[in-house]
Parts: sequence; structure tokens; C-alpha cells
Amino acid sequence: MGQEQEHLVNTKVERTLDLVSHLPKEIISVTFENRGTKSARYYDYCVEPQHVNDVGYVGAIVRGKNSGDQTNLPIKQETTDKTKGTIYRIELPNDLRSSQTITLEIEVVHINALRLLPTEIVQHERQLVLYKTNAYYYSKYSTQTQKTIVTLPTDRAESYTQAPKPVAKNEQTITYGPYENVAALTRNEISLHYENNNPFLTVNNMKRWIEVSHWGNIAVEETIEMYHSGAKLKGPFSRLDFQRQQNSYSAVKTFKTSLPAAAKDIYYRDEIGNVSTSSVREMHDQVEIEIRPRFPLYGGWNTYYVLGYNVPSYQYLFNKGNQYVLKMRLIDHVYDDQLLEQVTIKIVLPEYVHNIEFYPSMHDTDIKRLRNEKHYTYLDTIGRSVIVITKRNALFQHIQDFEIHYTFDKIMLLHEPMLIIFSLFGLFCFVIILNRLNFSINHEENNEIRIRIKGIWNQLMEHNIKRTSFYQKLDELLNTFKTNKDLKIYNEQRKKFENELKRIEQNFNNLQTKIKADSVETAEKIAEFQQLDAEQRKITQLLCGNTEKLVNGKIKKQAHGDEEQNLRLKIRDINTRISTILNQY
Amino acid sequence: MTTVNDNTSEYITNSSSSSAGLKSLITVIILICVCISGFISRLFSIIRFESVIHEFDPWFNYRSTVYMTDNGFYNFLNWFDDLAWYPLGRIVGGTVFPGLMVTSGTIHWFFHMINIPIHIREICVFLAPVFSGLTALATYLLTKELWSKRAGLFAAAFIAIAPGYSSRSVAGSYDNEAIAIFALIFTYYLWIRSIKTGSIFWSSCTALSYFYMVSAWGGYVFIINLIPVHVGFLLLLGRYSLRLYVSYSIFYILGLILSMQIPFVGFQPVRTSEHMIAAGIFILLQAYTFFDYLYNKLRYVRNIETIFFNLSIIISIIVFAIVVLLTYTGYIAPWSGRFYSLWDTSYAAKHIPIIISVSEHQPTTWTSFFFDLHLLICLYPVGAWFCVKDLNDERVFILLYAVFASYFAGVMIRLMLTLTPCVCILAAIALSKTLDYYADAESSEMVSNYDDSVSICDEVENDENNQYLDNNAQNIDETDDNDDDQNFLTSNIKIIVVTCIAMMLLLFIVHCTWITATAYSSPSIVLVSYNSDGTRAIVDDYREAYYWLRQNTPEKARIMSWWDYGYQIAGMSNRTVLVDNNTWNNSHIALVGKAMASNETEAYKIMTMLDVDYILVIFGGVIGFSGDDINKFLWMVRIAEGEHPKDIKENNYFNDNKEYRVDKSGSPILFNCLMYKLCYYRFGELYTDSAQPSGFDRTRSVEIGHKNFDLEHVEEAYTSANWIVRIYRVKKLSNRFQAKDALEKLTSSLSEESFEKNDGKGVILNKPHVKKGTKKSMRRT
Repeated sequence: MGQEQEHLVNTKVERTLDLVSHLPKEIISVTFENRGTKSARYYDYCVEPQHVNDVGYVGAIVRGKNSGDQTNLPIKQETTDKTKGTIYRIELPNDLRSSQTITLEIEVVHINALRLLPTEIVQHERQLVLYKTNAYYYSKYSTQTQKTIVTLPTDRAESYTQAPKPVAKNEQTITYGPYENVAALTRNEISLHYENNNPFLTVNNMKRWIEVSHWGNIAVEETIEMYHSGAKLKGPFSRLDFQRQQNSYSAVKTFKTSLPAAAKDIYYRDEIGNVSTSSVREMHDQVEIEIRPRFPLYGGWNTYYVLGYNVPSYQYLFNKGNQYVLKMRLIDHVYDDQLLEQVTIKIVLPEYVHNIEFYPSMHDTDIKRLRNEKHYTYLDTIGRSVIVITKRNALFQHIQDFEIHYTFDKIMLLHEPMLIIFSLFGLFCFVIILNRLNFSINHEENNEIRIRIKGIWNQLMEHNIKRTSFYQKLDELLNTFKTNKDLKIYNEQRKKFENELKRIEQNFNNLQTKIKADSVETAEKIAEFQQLDAEQRKITQLLCGNTEKLVNGKIKKQAHGDEEQNLRLKIRDINTRISTILNQY
Repeated sequence: MTTVNDNTSEYITNSSSSSAGLKSLITVIILICVCISGFISRLFSIIRFESVIHEFDPWFNYRSTVYMTDNGFYNFLNWFDDLAWYPLGRIVGGTVFPGLMVTSGTIHWFFHMINIPIHIREICVFLAPVFSGLTALATYLLTKELWSKRAGLFAAAFIAIAPGYSSRSVAGSYDNEAIAIFALIFTYYLWIRSIKTGSIFWSSCTALSYFYMVSAWGGYVFIINLIPVHVGFLLLLGRYSLRLYVSYSIFYILGLILSMQIPFVGFQPVRTSEHMIAAGIFILLQAYTFFDYLYNKLRYVRNIETIFFNLSIIISIIVFAIVVLLTYTGYIAPWSGRFYSLWDTSYAAKHIPIIISVSEHQPTTWTSFFFDLHLLICLYPVGAWFCVKDLNDERVFILLYAVFASYFAGVMIRLMLTLTPCVCILAAIALSKTLDYYADAESSEMVSNYDDSVSICDEVENDENNQYLDNNAQNIDETDDNDDDQNFLTSNIKIIVVTCIAMMLLLFIVHCTWITATAYSSPSIVLVSYNSDGTRAIVDDYREAYYWLRQNTPEKARIMSWWDYGYQIAGMSNRTVLVDNNTWNNSHIALVGKAMASNETEAYKIMTMLDVDYILVIFGGVIGFSGDDINKFLWMVRIAEGEHPKDIKENNYFNDNKEYRVDKSGSPILFNCLMYKLCYYRFGELYTDSAQPSGFDRTRSVEIGHKNFDLEHVEEAYTSANWIVRIYRVKKLSNRFQAKDALEKLTSSLSEESFEKNDGKGVILNKPHVKKGTKKSMRRT
């Protein structure tokens, strides 16, 4: 199989090296011809041994014909050879027969390929980087004509290798070549030392949490640890210079994240609360959130944040009967030219889901699925299945969809409402039963009697209050009678009060008879009370008579006063005795 | 309890049971509404800002709660916090009231047990509003015991929204007071219940509730003094009863044992003067009971009363003498400084500047009484008068509470908090009694119904009969008044009075809402400024800088700042601090104060001695924030002067006119001290105001006097967007000489300067010599 490949020849190679961002990106447009006899299935793309570990992404599409159909071709990484480097085997869409040509566009993104020189800068210095690459297109096939165009972020290049000729620099671009007839596996290292102040952001750890609910919502939360991977800040940071001179070239003040268009309830926070410096812009195809970390990021500075949002599930979750399919992005956009060194994705499926099958995107070859976990959240009983996936060095090009197929019995949707209903029902039943039970250590019957006695006493109290108030009123009546001497009203009122008092007395009798059965002691006390009451009535009558006499002029004022004093003393005595009786209780 | 009532009412009259049911339904609904409104009125800070922990102390509580939920309760009790008080550290378990953390930890544990994954932060933020709802319920219960259900409802409504209480219980202010006020009121309720019933059950409950209070707040001392004082007063008033004896004895013994279980309290209840009143009263009560018993047995002996009276006095003198003696011999610690400052307001100013430097320890101004209590402060004496007029055992208690709380609230603005519930209760009593009189439409119309209305008015718990009887005489008096007034008290007048009261209450509600919203709902770690067009701009400098520290300094970095920010740095930055808000070590704080007040070279010596890596200062001159370190600076100087009177003198920081100024007339020592330099470094180049020259300080409205200076030993590490927080890095010693010379030079300088001996570097360099010697000698022997 390897043999037949040798007959391929690169007829024309145009290499564009984009060094604008912190991830050097190569787009190689290769036109090659099959000069062998057998038809070719594959095209091998090679990486130099010293760059083997730099490659973050390799992708290839067929260029030219029917440009609408630009699906990525399947690529397989072959074994690494120490002298030759790594080979990426690109599967051609159809066999390339003898003397046929085809043009492929290979996209390669290098990570960690830029060397910072110097590695530490002060606040206002510009950031310089050194990039080493091959002047020629490195291929296991010989190349007829080739050209390399390097795009720099600015027109300032400290130095660049001037050989092999011809080399031309025009503002931001440096052109190497064209070179003719380069043999296979030729290496010629060139180095470029240039200014690059574009954000050197790297996410060293990202956790993506996707929680699916069958009630119509998918919650996504991304926890991001990020650092500035550019030249480290040396010396002080001066806010004054930062504010006034605007010369902090390498600092990252803000960056943009794109969220799905349906994203809502967006939050952006960290360990100590909401980060208030951010803005959201809704566009027709996406929601753009401008993230401004709490502080500008200089070289070597870290930050950490959590970004979360909800999306409606109808866009991502499809079902036919009990069969469900979840189709979502495994990783999403964090910032342009993103480099996510370590990504952990956790997908939380609803409870009672089974037959889970996970299908990553066809091109995602280097993802790793770990063992499922369990997660417990609101109203869970058996826990939800969590699918855990890790990936290293995810780039913008790795934003791909995944699919999860699972089975879920729809009847289980009722599980959670039922749980609430039954637990509340149980609680109420419990309270009802608890209320009916008696936990008192007292004997039941005694208790009842006690309550009854208590009730009687309460009534007695109430009547007593009424009684005293009537006596009071009677007293007052006497006073008014003394002054206005209106016999008619006096008699009328007095009769009324006395009737009332009699009625109260009757009540006392009733109470006494009622209580006799329960407690003789209480009945005796009531009897005593009644006796006192009768005494008081007698005295009051005396008092009335006395006053009448006074009004009629039958006795003198002096005598009346003495008599009244005497009687009142007696009443007071009775009152104290009554209260001692009642107090005993 | 309600069931019992229902039963009794059934026995009395069958007709009243349905009305009682309706009444309790209405009561429940009102109480629920009160709780909800109390909860909601505290959410302003969440709506305006976010769900975040406020201020300073709550950050420590939050951090320890998180630690407890992560590591469990026992690890929390044994927690040695190495982020605080470098190099001393702090044993948190033994120096903290764990009630707050345990409460929220328990709630967190419960929620997680039933699979509600709520974050501990949310629990901490919402704990105070939830507990204020419970406080309202406890206040209802207490007032119900003291007066009537109606007054109870009023009191609950008042406490739910009174600014004096909401000031310390808004969402996010996660502090001990948040739960302690509930515990306080509830303990008082149970106490009242137990002296009313004299039952062991209720007094044990009181002790348990007291235990919760002890675990939650240092203010438990208020309970353990007020209850004995109440008992003592009842004895003096001749209101001794067996109920009192039972409830106090049980409460005291159980409460004592329980309170000693809190590690922070330990043996204090038996060894400090603050607790001696309780012990003394306990002994006195035992003696009294004993004599009372003898008295009943020996009635026939002559003059027995005078003998017993004299004996009681002798006993109390002996008890007092023993306490004094024990205090002198050192078995009982004398009053602590904070306690002294309650009696003598100038004490702290003279002796402990660190206490008086806290704004909430200042004496209260008259305006703040109105500000915090509004209408209630006017009704409060009226309620007290009603209680005096109609005295019984439990009303003695509320009156004592009122007297003591008023005094303490006057001394210290912070203790306004303990006064508020009492004011609410008494004001509710006053209002309830007034409304009983005026809002009863039926009584004026039908004389026959009058008696019923009286009994409803005084709807004291039916089973408390003795109280009822005590009231009897009073009721009769009222009857007189009412009958006389009946002629002119037409329904029109009643309506007018009721309307006036309703309007005042409405104003009260408006006031409370306004105060809570404007004055007490700012988290103080997030500031707000208003732009010229009225839009709100959030100034988030604190968190910006704290987060910078968290993310971009070495994990073991030590941060020096004034103690105010210690808890926040530990909580938000997760870095080691030298001093924090738990101001237990005055000399350490004074050392930091000295570093801030010295010139750079002197300060550098202190900082290397203390291994300081970063210095953090708060500076408000750019946006006009007045609570910054320059304004606090004199306190640092004073505290430093207290410990280092030779090196730091307050007068040096004043100019010739004895003024503290940062403009040209300022003192040169001030201009050269570390604090000034850190705050104003490169500030002289900044134009803060277009109409003013550069280096114009907007907080103090002056152009600073000393510009264009350089820093020798420190460098700017970070300054927040509005310059509020400035962080400096302490430079390491530069390599000046060859390694060989360095050793010689350092050793020679060590012998010359005594101070350098403390220098960390010097000690380390010396160490190898010493070790070698000892090892050899040990081998030989």
C-alpha cells in the first residue's frame, strides 16, 4: 500500500503561513498528480520531526470542483518516525487514477510553536516572538513548484531568515520562493522574529457541564481557568500608565465569546461573585458576550470564571417515541483562536435513562470517554447518568457536534411531580395522625377532668369579672343617686343590676352542680365563694339602704359616712378573700 | 397549646369554638404575611447587586462555614487557620461562636440529603432574612405572653420591618447577630413561659435555647445577666414564688453546664465577673427558699420576719464578698475591657483605642434612635407606662429589659440591635391598648355587649388565671373611665383616632422600607456611583483587586494590610494576612500600624521581619471614597503609639496648627511615612478633576502636598480601576555584594544594630553555625 504512494508528485504547492494569532496556521494548497500505474487511495501529509508535538489540528478538503461540498476528508495519524516525522494519511474522496491530478487544501494549526523572545517584558513593551519553520513544503513526495507566503501581525519583523532566495518582504507579508523541484523530505529551517501583540490566551483547564432536562431546558455551564501565555510581565504594573498612555500592547482587556442564539439567563461569575464588567449583544445567529475579566491580563496572569446559560431543548433534543437523540456541540466557542489545553465535558442525562450510546463527531479522533458518573440533583432518587469525556488541545477547528442516543420511558416524566405529591400527602397524613395521638404522660381520664375543671374555673373567672363590674356599677349608681337624687332612675337601674347579679348567682350554682361530679374540692371552693358573694350582696344592700336613708334625710351625713366606711371595709375584706380563693387555683 | 384552648372553649360555650378557629386562622395568616414581608424587605441588596456576602466579619463566617461543610464539624472545631495572623495563626474552633456555621451547615446538610444541590453561599446569604421571619414569630409569642395576642401581632409586624433590626439582618449580612436576635427573643419567651407555669419542661427549654444563643453570639451575656436581675427584682418586690424558684434553678444549672460546652466560652461562666450576677442570684434564691421553708414551719416564733430579713441581707453580703474576694485572688477574671467601656464610655478611648476605632462601637446619637425606630421610639415609653400601671411578674421582665437595653443602646451604636425587639414589644403594647380602646366600634353602641368586649380586649391566655385576677382590679378601673367617656367618645372621634394611627403606621412602613433600602442594603464590597445622567455605575474595585491577589500571587504570599481588610483578603483572595478583624492581638496590630506609620526604611525592616510579600492599602482619593486608609490612618498611629510610644508619636503627624492634613501644610513625617507613600504613589501625575491641578485628592478636596517621589523597597504590583485598592510588592533584598562579603557584612551589621537581630535573614544565616556545634558536642558526649 505504501509503495503505490511513491508515485505521487506535488506539481504545485502554495503555502500560506498565518502568524497573526498566537496559533500559527498553515493553509497548504497542494496539487498533485498520480504518475504511477495503480490508482491512489491516500495522500500522506508529513510533519517535520521537530514540529511533531506542535500540531494541534490537521484538516483537508478538496479544492476546486463543486466548492459547495466542502466536507473534511477523513484523516488518520500514522506512526511517528524519529527521522521522518509524523505522517497524516488523508483519505481521498475517490481513487486517484493514473495521471490524474487533484488539489487538496490542507489546514494545519500549530500550538505552542511560538517562542517568546524575550520571555519577560515590562508593561509598555511590545511582545516579540520567534517562529521556526521549514522554508519548503515538507513532503514525502517531490515537489515541482512551491511558494510560501508568511503573514505577520504587523509589518515589524525584528529579523527573518533571508535564505533560500528569493525572499521578498512587503509590509506584513514575506514571500519565500517560488522554488522549483525540491526533493522529498527536504528541510531548510528559517526563523522569523517578529512582533505579536495579539491575545496570547490559553485555557489550561475547562469544564463543560451540560444538563439535559426533559421539561424543555438544557443548562450549559463552562468553568474556565485561563492564563496569558505571552511574555511574562516583569516589574510593576502601573494603573496610571495603563489608563493614560494606552501602551499596554500585550495585555488582554477583553475578549468575545459566542453562545447559541437561543441562549438565555446568561451568567458570568467567579468564586467571589458576579463579574459586573461584561456585556451581552444578541445577534440573529448567535449571542455575543463580551467578557472582560476583573483585571487586564498580562503575561503570566491567570483568571478563572464560570459562564453559564440555558438553551431550550427543542433545538438539540429529538425523539421518536421513547428513543431520544441529543445533538449538541461537544465544545463551544470560548474566544477566537482558542486553545483549550484540557477539556472535560460532562453530560448529565435525565433520570431513568438507559441504553445510552455516545457518538462523537467523525473527525474527533482524540477524545477519551471515561466511566460514567452519577449525579444527584433536585428530586432525584436513583441519580442521573453522567457521561464524561476529556479532550486535550481543543482548537476552534474542533467545535463539532456529538450525538447521544438513549431510551427514556415517557411515563417516568410523572415521577417527579408524583414524588412531591406523595411526600406532601405523607406529611399531612403524619400530622393528622400525630394530632390524634396523645403523648401525655398523665392519665387520660384525669386529664379530661382537669380540662373540665379548668373550663369551669375559667367560666367562674369570667362571671366573677362580670359580677365585680356590676357591683362597681351599682356603687356608681349610688354615687349618682347621692348627687342627683333621682329615685326613679335609681330604682330602675338597681333592679336591673340586681337581676343581673341574681342571674350570675344562678350561673354559679349551675357551675357548682356541674363540677360536683368531677371534683368535690372544687365544688366546696365554689360554695365558699358563693357564700362570700351572698355576704357581699347583703352588705351592698345595706349600703343601698343606708344611702337611700341619707337621700331621704333620715340619717345624718356624718353617720352615713361612718357606716359607709365600715361597710366598704367589709367589702374589701370579702374581695381579698375571694381573690385568695381564686388564686389558689 | 391551641388544641387545649379549643377544648376548654368547647366546655364553656359551644358557640365560641368556630369564632376561635377563625381567629387563629387569621392569626396564622397575619403571621405568615409578617414573616414574608420581613423576608422580602431584606432582599434589596440582592435585587440591586447580587447574592453576595457583605462587609467584613461575614466573610470570615462564610469562609469558616465553607470549611466546615467541606471538612466536617470536628475538623472545624480543630481548625488551625494558617491564613490569619501570620506568623501566629489562629485556632478557629476555640475562638469562634460556632452557632452560625453549624446552623447554616445543618441547613446545607439537610438540603443535600434530600438532593437539593443548593450552594452554601446561598444559604449563608439568605440565612439572616429567614431568621428575621423566625424572630418575628418569637416576638409574637413573647408579646402574647406579656400582654395579648393582638399586641403580639403588632410586635411581630414591627420587628419584621424595624430598621434597627434589619440593619444587621439584610440578605448577605451573614453575621452572628442574624441568628442571635432570634435566639435572644426566643429564650426570653421561654423564660417568661417557665416563670408563668413553673414547669421543668419550659425551663429546660429555656436552657436549651440559651445554649443555642451562647453558641451563636457573645451577646448571650445579656441574657445571663438580665434573667438573674429579673429574678432579683422579683425577690425585692416580694413576688417570690415556687414557680420562680423552679424555673430559675433549672435554667441556671442547665444553662451553665450547656454554655460551658462551647469551646470559646469554656470556663468563663464560672470564672469571669460578667457571669457572677447569675451565680450570686442562684445562691440567694436557694437561701431565700430555704428561709421561706423555715418560715412556714416556724410561724409561731416571734419576730421571725425581721430575723429572716436580716439573714437574707447577710447572705447576700456574704455572697458579694466572696465574689469580690475571688476576683482579687484571681479565681474570677475581672470585667473585660469591652465591658468596662459599656459603663464608662470614655474608658475605651483612654485605654483601648482599637475598640473605639470601630465605628459601630461609638456612642449612639439621638438621631439614630429615630432613624432606626421612627414611630416606635415615641410609643415605647407609653407601652412601658402601661406595663408599670399593670405590673405582674413577666412585665417586670420587659421593663428591666427596656431599661438595660436603652442604656446599652445609648452607649454603643451596635447595641441598638438588642433594644429594637424590646421597643417593638412595648410599642405594640401601647398601640394595641390604644386601639382596644378606640377601634372597638361595637362597645360604644351597645352597652350590653360591653362586658364581652372587655374580656376580648384582655385576651390574655385563658389558662393564665392568676394574671387574669391581677388584672381584675385594673379592668374595673377601666370600666369607670369608659363609662365616663362614653358620652363624648362618639364613633366619629374613634374613627378619626384610628385613621391617625393608621396613617402613622403607614408612614412608619414607608420609613422602614426607605431606610432599609438606602442605608442598610449596600454590601460595601461593591460600591455604587451615579453618573451625571443618573445611571448607575458599579465600582467593583475591591473584588477586582482581591481576585487579582487570588489569581496572580504565590499561594503562600503574605499580605500586609490594615486589620479591617483581613477577613476579606482571607475570604476572597485566599491569602495569608498578618492581622484581621478578630482583633485579639493588639501588639501585632500595633506592629502593622507602626510599619504603616514609619518611613520606608523602618517599615522595610518590620516587613522583612514579618515576611511580608505584598502590602494592600485602600485609597479613595480618585473617586472620592471616604472610608479609606488615609482617613483611618490616625487610628493606626494611635494604636501603634500605644505599643511603641518611643517610635511613633501622634503629634508628629499633625501640622503646626495641630491639624491632620495631606496638602502642602501637612507634616513632613506624614509625607514620608509608608502609608502616605503607598496611597499617593504616582498620584501626583493624575488629573482627577479638570478644574484642579494634578494630584487633587477628591476625598479630602485638597491637592496633595508631596508629589513625585519614588519607592525604594516596594513596587506597585496592582492598582484597581478606580485606584481604591493599591497593592505593592515588597522587593527582595538586592544582590549588592559577593556572597563571601555578604556573610561578613551581615554578621557585622548584626552585632552593630540590635534591631537587625530580629531580621529573618540574619537569623537564618546564623543558624548553620549553631547547629554544627550542637551536633558535634552531642556526638562526643
